[in-house]
Amino acid sequence: METVLNIKELKVWFYTRRGIFRALNGVNLILRKGEVLGIAGESGSGKSTLGLSIMALLPYNAVIIKGGSIYIKSKNTLETFDLFDESQLRRKFSMRKNRRIMNKISNSLSKLRGKLVSMVFQEPMTSLNPLLQVGYQIAETIVAHNSSYLAKRILSRIKVTNSDLKEVLNLVTSSNNVEDELKRYAKNKGLEGIESQILYILGRKDLSRTRKERAILTLKEKKKNFLTMNYLKRVAENRSLGIYSILDRLPFVKRFFSRILLKEGYRRAVELLSLLNIPHAEKVVYMYPHELSGGMRQRVAIAIAISNNPDIIILDEPTSALDVIVQNQILQLISELKSKFNLSFIFISHDLSVLAEVCDRIAIMYGGRIVEVAPIDKIFYEPLHPYTKGLIKAIPKITKESMTLESIPGTVPDMRNPPSGCMFHPRCPYAMEICRKQIPKSIEYNKDHFVECFLYGEQ
Amino acid sequence: MSKELGLIGRRNYLLKRNPRLDELKISFKIFFSNPTAVAGLVITLLYFIDTFLVQFFPWAIGIHDPNQYIINPYNPVPTPPSPQHPLGTTYGGIDLLDAILKSIRVDVEYTLLIVLSGALIGLVLGLVSGFFGGIMDEILMRITDIFFSIPYLVLAIAIIFVLGRSLDIVALSLIIVWWPLYARYARGQTLSIKQMTFIEAAKAAGTRDFWIMFRHIIPNVLPPIFVQISLDLGVVVGVFSTLTFIGFSPTANIPELGYLTSLGLNFVSIAPWAVIIPGLVITIFALAVNLMGDGLRDVIDPRRRSV
Amino acid sequence: MKLWLYIVRRLLLIIPTLIGLTLITFILIHVQGNNLIIAEYLNPHLTGAARDYAIQQLYQRFHLNDPLYIQYMYWLIQVLNGDLGFTRTPIYSGPVTTALALFYPNTIMLAVISSILIWIIGIPIGVWSAVKRDSLFDQSMRVVTFTLYAMPPYLVYLLVLIVFAVYLSLFPISGAVNPLLLQGIDWYSNGISYPTHIVFIDALLHGNFAIALDSIWHFILPSIGLALGGVAGIIRLLRSSMLEVLDQDYIRMARSKGIREKYVINTHARRNALIPALTSFVYGFAGLLGGVVVTETIFNIPGVGYWTVQALLNNDAGGIMGSTLIFGIILVTASLILDLIYAAIDPRVRY
Repeated sequence: METVLNIKELKVWFYTRRGIFRALNGVNLILRKGEVLGIAGESGSGKSTLGLSIMALLPYNAVIIKGGSIYIKSKNTLETFDLFDESQLRRKFSMRKNRRIMNKISNSLSKLRGKLVSMVFQEPMTSLNPLLQVGYQIAETIVAHNSSYLAKRILSRIKVTNSDLKEVLNLVTSSNNVEDELKRYAKNKGLEGIESQILYILGRKDLSRTRKERAILTLKEKKKNFLTMNYLKRVAENRSLGIYSILDRLPFVKRFFSRILLKEGYRRAVELLSLLNIPHAEKVVYMYPHELSGGMRQRVAIAIAISNNPDIIILDEPTSALDVIVQNQILQLISELKSKFNLSFIFISHDLSVLAEVCDRIAIMYGGRIVEVAPIDKIFYEPLHPYTKGLIKAIPKITKESMTLESIPGTVPDMRNPPSGCMFHPRCPYAMEICRKQIPKSIEYNKDHFVECFLYGEQ
Repeated sequence: MSKELGLIGRRNYLLKRNPRLDELKISFKIFFSNPTAVAGLVITLLYFIDTFLVQFFPWAIGIHDPNQYIINPYNPVPTPPSPQHPLGTTYGGIDLLDAILKSIRVDVEYTLLIVLSGALIGLVLGLVSGFFGGIMDEILMRITDIFFSIPYLVLAIAIIFVLGRSLDIVALSLIIVWWPLYARYARGQTLSIKQMTFIEAAKAAGTRDFWIMFRHIIPNVLPPIFVQISLDLGVVVGVFSTLTFIGFSPTANIPELGYLTSLGLNFVSIAPWAVIIPGLVITIFALAVNLMGDGLRDVIDPRRRSV
Repeated sequence: MKLWLYIVRRLLLIIPTLIGLTLITFILIHVQGNNLIIAEYLNPHLTGAARDYAIQQLYQRFHLNDPLYIQYMYWLIQVLNGDLGFTRTPIYSGPVTTALALFYPNTIMLAVISSILIWIIGIPIGVWSAVKRDSLFDQSMRVVTFTLYAMPPYLVYLLVLIVFAVYLSLFPISGAVNPLLLQGIDWYSNGISYPTHIVFIDALLHGNFAIALDSIWHFILPSIGLALGGVAGIIRLLRSSMLEVLDQDYIRMARSKGIREKYVINTHARRNALIPALTSFVYGFAGLLGGVVVTETIFNIPGVGYWTVQALLNNDAGGIMGSTLIFGIILVTASLILDLIYAAIDPRVRY
């Protein structure tokens, strides 16, 4: 299976007035294509920082230590940067230099964001711009990364003829594998872009059969004026824009050009939203975030994240701000997306029960390191790391007779003064002498089951 | 419990700390770690010292007639800075250094009067109306709205027109212009503090209204008001001198920085110092006071305090 | 539909404010007693019995014998009918309404030009200062605005005057327009130009570019002065507002979408930052109207502020009343427009 994300020994520390906060202390993680990887951990374990580091969206006081690497599709995003060494931190550190480095990393990654990696945040209300329409916020992502796709769609609608559409109708009613047939058909006729539009209409649940057919037949559009057609052709073929790049700058004129792509973006947004089971998507795209409920907002955020088919989608506690029923809906949505489109997700949460619903593998984070990674049933039924064991035991079960809640003794370590050696040793019932002295390395104890603990072998 | 601890010895005596004192110490530390704020404080103090001296001991710095300018009828033309007149002279042969020292006192005294009175009135009204709400609050809001709907200069001019043109009236008119600002501000603060849960808790515990107001609300409303006061000192001194500059002080020869500037106005092309220097004196005061206010703001900002 | 309700509600709220405004103005004038009114309308040459008779007539005419609130009523009616009284100052004597028509255009020109300057200069600097936080640009701008803010307004204008007009001799020192150019122009008579009363616009309308240019030339300096005074506040405000916005989640979200930084700032951040600044803009505009008084005095522009000052110095009740009223009405209108703009721009307000 293909690996989409490979993190090696990632160390990220925060410079605060109260000291250096060691958020990530050598994270090793792999994400494979088409899987949902859950990251579980308590507050302060660094899970959000991990997500932000992959996206390079860290605040200015975050310092990425030299020696770590993040490989997104075999390209190291942290390469070529003159990062600080651990030893340099005491003397040679300067906030200004760090800010410059963080800016550079962020800028270099900005081309990948939205296209290869995207993120969904915890609070849906604040993560959407309250002044812009929801549809605009979805459309702008698509226009920014995939404008040729949008242009192709428009062109296909212009190019298609009524007889073509009738052929399509016959195809749809007669064939079994509608999607592939349509794709082939569209390719043959040079009408790329029309298949998704047709599929959308077919997929709508609020139209009757005849209505759908009528809708398909109305896909045909008239030819636009010469300038616009030329512009669209150029965008669709990714050719240079020539004179349009100048026209694009003029504040008044550019409305005509960028408008058309944006409008198409709105259409695509409608398709995406109905994919995510939002009713009346055509109306919703024109609404503002405060007019929508929490669940719908989060779905909008997910739509934004998946709109360009990224390889990695990071979900940072997407359901923590929602009520349980909506939570369930969103989780089901994620499973659907995974199976339909083979997307890969990283699901960050502190709630193991939520992760149990939707993940293929779970990684347990503690003290800025991944202490255990395993397929889901192994984590729940055969946990290896003492911390994991404690977490599983702490989940209250209805069937148990005793009323006492199990918990892990002690508190989360203060990451400004982390304990030496293994982070968990002060609270671990199995702590040994070596646990105090060395940090355990990751070993594959069972198939695809990694753990960092001295209980499972000398390193 | 402290008695038991006291038995064990000196170390535990030290445990009996005074949290208020610690807070005060932190405040000082924050304020004095800010170099611009300290500079502001120093300069402001200099102005205050001048005021104090001219008010009570003018002879100590060589001022013989603190309430008037010394006109030199023999040489009424402004002269540039020279050894006898370190800052030059302005129209009427008035020595600038001497004039400025006198004027600072007048300006500072009036400004303090205006800001403190306005703040006091506004604070009381805002606090009471914000706390008790109801019709009183509505009326206050309408009244402040009306006052806000007239540009302050025009209102001040109108009041001066009615009551007469003297420095005291100018000050009075500014007080009238200024208090709605404080009333609004105090009311806003009171309202937001009232929302906080600890007020609810106090009410639930049965504390009486006035007690709540004094012990809980006022200490929380005062710090931002103090900051506002210190910032306003700079603004008011500017407005006050503007009014006197335009000519609303009586024709008598009262030392005041705006008036001083207006004296030099006719000679602007040949003697710019007569106009610039008094203006600069005000500017420096306003700058100093603003820097100090910013420093104070840092002190009361809870984010800065959690060291 | 809801928008209209909002507008209507807002308009209704104005009425008590306007009443209060007129009340204050009325009280101000009549606190001094009836002498002022009499002094205005009385022919000073009368003596003896004729004088007493004239005074009697005036008492009748202005209902000065009636209780105050009735006088207020009459005065209000008089105002609403368009008669704002009489003014008598060295620069102009006549009905207040004519005086306003005479002086107003210049003040409007000043206020508008300076506002435009303030916004054009202030907004980009404020936004950029926040984006490039703590850079050399940001820090130097902070120092500059801090100093400007601390200066008393008249000092700013004086400095502008000294530097540009005296030393560099670039601009004229005073006046609104060169009177020599205006001789023989048919659309200008007795100080009032037609149709819009604003010399600059009328000159353009009539195709006379020389006069238009001259008019602008006279106005630039005071506008720069006013602008400098106002720009400090705007920059500060926008900077802090922008900083707050940039910390928000949706900015992080926009970046995570892969949108170029330029668009993030322009489309997402700036819009949100401008909203809290809007209130300040409008009150700043109102403050401009106040500051205009000083500017007009220094630069000798015959505008409403100048007239107000003259009225004060000459104990002219009509003038004071008229200008107070007008200024108040402008501010109230501006406040109303502000609320309407808010409703139009911020979708959250509408519901």
